[in-house]
Amino acid sequence: MSKPGNDRAQASPTKQFFVSMLTRDISLEDAILDLLDNCLDGAMRVADGNKVDYGNHFVRIAFDKDYFSIEDNCGGIPRDIAKNYAFKMGREPDDDRDADTETIGMYGVGMKRAIFKMGKEALVRTRYGNDTFEVPITSQWLEAKNWDPLPINEPTEASEKLAEPGTTILVKELYEGVARHFANEAFENRVRTAISEHFTMFLQWGLKVELNGKPVDPVRVEVLVSKREDGPAPFVFRKTIDGVVVSITVGRNTNRSLGNEDDEDAGFERDRSSATAGWTVLCNDRAVIVGDKSRLTGWGDGIPLYHPQFAIITGIIEFRSKRADKLPVTTTKRALDTSSNVWLESLVKMKEGMRVWIDYTNQWKNHSSSEQEQMRHWEDARPMALSRAIETVASRKATKRLDGDGVEFNPKKNKVLPEPPGKKPSSRRITFSKPAEEIRIVAKALLDDESARPGTVGEKCFDLALAKAKKWVAER
Amino acid sequence: MSTGSSLPYRLRPNKAVDRELFLSLLTRLTPTLGLERYHYVGLGGAFLEDFRLVHARLGITKMTCIETDEQVHKRQLFNRPIASIVCVHARLEDYLDEHEFDTPAIIWFDYTNPKGITTQIERFAQTIGTVPIGSVLRVTLNANPTSLGRPDPNDLSVEVEGEASEDRALKPTIQEWRLARFKERLGALFPSGLTADGMTFKTYGPSLLRALKLAVENEALSFGDRRIVWALATHYADGQPMVTATLVVCSSEDQAIEKLVKSWEFYATTDAPHRLALPALSTLERLTMESNDNAQIKLGFDLPESDMGENPFEAFKKFYRIYPHFSRVEL
Repeated sequence: MSKPGNDRAQASPTKQFFVSMLTRDISLEDAILDLLDNCLDGAMRVADGNKVDYGNHFVRIAFDKDYFSIEDNCGGIPRDIAKNYAFKMGREPDDDRDADTETIGMYGVGMKRAIFKMGKEALVRTRYGNDTFEVPITSQWLEAKNWDPLPINEPTEASEKLAEPGTTILVKELYEGVARHFANEAFENRVRTAISEHFTMFLQWGLKVELNGKPVDPVRVEVLVSKREDGPAPFVFRKTIDGVVVSITVGRNTNRSLGNEDDEDAGFERDRSSATAGWTVLCNDRAVIVGDKSRLTGWGDGIPLYHPQFAIITGIIEFRSKRADKLPVTTTKRALDTSSNVWLESLVKMKEGMRVWIDYTNQWKNHSSSEQEQMRHWEDARPMALSRAIETVASRKATKRLDGDGVEFNPKKNKVLPEPPGKKPSSRRITFSKPAEEIRIVAKALLDDESARPGTVGEKCFDLALAKAKKWVAER
Repeated sequence: MSTGSSLPYRLRPNKAVDRELFLSLLTRLTPTLGLERYHYVGLGGAFLEDFRLVHARLGITKMTCIETDEQVHKRQLFNRPIASIVCVHARLEDYLDEHEFDTPAIIWFDYTNPKGITTQIERFAQTIGTVPIGSVLRVTLNANPTSLGRPDPNDLSVEVEGEASEDRALKPTIQEWRLARFKERLGALFPSGLTADGMTFKTYGPSLLRALKLAVENEALSFGDRRIVWALATHYADGQPMVTATLVVCSSEDQAIEKLVKSWEFYATTDAPHRLALPALSTLERLTMESNDNAQIKLGFDLPESDMGENPFEAFKKFYRIYPHFSRVEL
């Protein structure tokens, strides 16, 4: 039997290990989005449970090969929070901020992780009320072995003060790979796209986000809804599961058509769908995932894998709760926790909605000639975001009411979707390829138009051959 | 062929200027890069005019001409002006996939077909990582916005300078309609923040160049050994509007080439391409304009404005040195 000795084995994490682990599982884009998330949580705290007026808030992000900066007017960090919580690696159980607000931060790593991901020197300057102070994070601190607290400095010059309550973060001494990305326009474009997608709701509510001096516009994720009682409408479902309000819609987006050959690209079918086709997942108004077309959101799981034929299908699901830990998101906030109950239960409904539209595209794919006719049915349908789509469909008489605030509408069961004229189940698709110069010869001979669509030329050839064959059979 | 590519250069003065600009760039680069040992790959058309000039100006002998149309290919074999040109009946993409470059190359992706613009841009972007360092890549893209499609006019609304038709709230304008199609075509290559204003006859070219630049820069992120120096970009219309962009694949440490390119008189990047819109002139007009500073007064009349809205006198002044003069020879 051993007995307790006087020696002790060190078990605290080294700073280097901690920093490298922390930053490894996040991409540079996500690190920037995390900082934006913090700004929004700040704006929500300022409103203190009331409706946030996002039009009053701005976030300015700028980066280049030698710096990164983000600046907001979202309330700033209170001094006691800075002293006790904000710069700690991870959230303390006794930190009870946000119990009543729909914020998304829960682990308390976002800001630190983003800074460590980018560079070795940082300065966080904040103003809460009239109290302004700054916290420098230096490379010496990062390299030091101990976990000494960070200094809190008071401003001495006017230039060190902030005009409004808010926070600015400046990162310098960027890592080489990070600097290369920050100097690259394609990376800037990627970040801009990511912001316009993930923060689309906030941008639509008036939040002003600037990236390198240029405002970011929201990407609209919408489905087509007709206001007519019997007009085409999306699949709609809303229910409270496990304390989380789940809202789902699956419908047709504004992408043009199914199987149109006009844009034939180098002979093989391309996915021409915009980013908004597929599934968009919102958690407390943040778009966690935009335009997902993978197994994650059910594709290929009891229904077909995603295929360009489905480019007209958009699904939107929203989870809403004041308890951030109930939402099915992971620490990076840009990925889903797919093992959670609320997600699994929702997935069943998501797939039900997808099936409606997969059938729809299957029905129409061999009727490209009656495309016009299909479009007539959709003429009075307007693109709508999730909440408006649900409201509009919920006002129909045919919509089922569920317990509480729940609703459900299945457009197929309610027969509001157009069907192809003279729908023949025996239709089969013929595809083949021929050299362009030969197609031109046939096109010229049959249609007197060298540049006729290859599909049209093929159809005419078939019609001609069919007439001949019928005649030949009759003569025998 | 129904495309403009088979029209002779004398009917396409702006394309001729564009080509002169390219040759002028190569001439500037050759003392540093030693272009005479390069491999020139291009699509020569029936007459292989570009090949003749590249050989004459730069002394390049290793030249490959790619052509998909069999009849044109045969015609090229017949017309081949320099014995060392190898004519290959293939697609440019297939040729590049099957060929290993042992010297740096000059490759001209002379695309004219507006369909497949995404594949064209992607292919051009990918090539920056596969060619030897020092290579010069050039692309021509069809910049006609009507190639995005022609919607039924009943499905469109109209808005001009604040005035709008009644159905404005319900239907898109032609530019909005095109933007949606452009987005569909480009997918992930779509430049974030691009608006319907970038979809007119005049602005579509620069929008395409923006998408091209982002695709190339994105590809460049994957390579640590090289970086991209944009050297020349043009936008012109001889009937069909086109844009071109030329870049040099430099080693990541190189500063010399960038300096050389940036100090060039005709340096232009994809952000601000040269608008080539030169007037058609008689011999007398041309000589008068060349030899007089106050040509407009001397002539005593206005020249018609081009499709691109450029002032013909200024356009002439900028490019007259390399403006070719064509005249008729009767055989």
